[in-house]
Amino acid sequence: MNSLNKYLIAGVSASLLILGACTEETGEDTMDNGQKVIDPELLDPNRSFNTSFDGKLFSVPSPVQTALLIRSSNLAYDESLLNSEDNIGNYTTNTSKALNLGIYGADLGYATLYDQNAKSLSYLNVVESLSKDLGIAGAFDAKFLQRFEANSSNQDSMLVILTDAFRKGDMFLKENDRKNSSALILTGGWLESMHFATNLYAKSKDERILHRIGEQKQSLKTIIDILKEYNADGVNDEILLQLNSLNDLFKTVEITNEFVAPVTDEAKKLTTIKNKTTMTMPDELEASIRAKVQEIRASIVGKPA
Amino acid sequence: MKKIIILSIFTILFGSFSTNAQDCDSVSRVVESYIANDDKGKPFVSDGQVYVAFLDNEKAEFNTTLYGGSYYRLAASAGVKDDYVIFSIFDSEDNLLFTNKDFKNSPYWDFKIENTVSVRIQTELDTDKKVTGCAVLMIGFLK
Repeated sequence: MNSLNKYLIAGVSASLLILGACTEETGEDTMDNGQKVIDPELLDPNRSFNTSFDGKLFSVPSPVQTALLIRSSNLAYDESLLNSEDNIGNYTTNTSKALNLGIYGADLGYATLYDQNAKSLSYLNVVESLSKDLGIAGAFDAKFLQRFEANSSNQDSMLVILTDAFRKGDMFLKENDRKNSSALILTGGWLESMHFATNLYAKSKDERILHRIGEQKQSLKTIIDILKEYNADGVNDEILLQLNSLNDLFKTVEITNEFVAPVTDEAKKLTTIKNKTTMTMPDELEASIRAKVQEIRASIVGKPA
Repeated sequence: MKKIIILSIFTILFGSFSTNAQDCDSVSRVVESYIANDDKGKPFVSDGQVYVAFLDNEKAEFNTTLYGGSYYRLAASAGVKDDYVIFSIFDSEDNLLFTNKDFKNSPYWDFKIENTVSVRIQTELDTDKKVTGCAVLMIGFLK
């Protein structure tokens, strides 16, 4: 081996040692009251960075919020709505794993809100397994599992722990230039919340749930835009085809926005946003949207609609 | 001398990539501290996402929907000082609903939403204080 090769190997080895020291979070960084301990040696304000972030941001409302709305409607827990844990073996591609991680995450949120502890823990195992397959096991590590189980009698804490873990996984994916995986997980979670909402509206005819369905018009557009953005090699072609057909229905949902001046309480650091919105969606359109959502979901979870 | 140069180049290159990701990670911990609990100790539930942008005299923005009947907190940071990041919220007709610039770039603010509204959230660095850097924003809501 010549001298140059020796030095190249030594250089790469030195670099890998440094990378290895920086990859995973180690040690406790949370105080007993749940507050984070902040590293005091933060950033030089004039330092410049190169990061893997491409400047594009996207956001999809959390499926937990729709689950909370459903819970507040006093509708009974319906386990038949959930994607069976047994289906996990069907998911062999990164696309199906990411989509179904989002779906199972929403299911876990739903089960948690209904205090279904045994089911929650079962779905937790499924989420952990898929997160390992997708390389974000660090977000759902042993410490997370312990905290979740230790708080199984406290719904608020379980929700916070669960959503913090998804946030951690989201951060990891974005830092490592895996925005498409992040987008697919969000898509799965969104689709599952639509599945809950459309099914439960059919049973309850609760107008608030109907409005929540119609309010997804913008979120669906966002999802389509981000899946297009990160559609390298056409990996998102199939899901985009399905979502575009759903979007054709949502285009006919009428939404108007009327600006009303917000009111701010500076002392409380609180602003009340008072804009008024109207949403119009005829019954036939709602039925069509419901059918399309079920069709798309069925193709993702792997059973007939 | 050549040996030292080669080793140094590799170490600096790989070291800087991992350090930059770690720095954005450090900033995200700052933001987490702002969004942990409300003034009464009630925890905010994360929306499960992190909004990270490298800003160099530019703005980053995204669209989202804030649900009626909900209570949100938006928090943002770009480093150890509280007031590097300006975030603003516009409705679908570009009416300005809020900007923390009016409140000394407060690192977090709460929002009570009466009716569901589609918004555009814009972030930028206050270039009087910080010209470039990793800006992190997070959204939480009360159960």
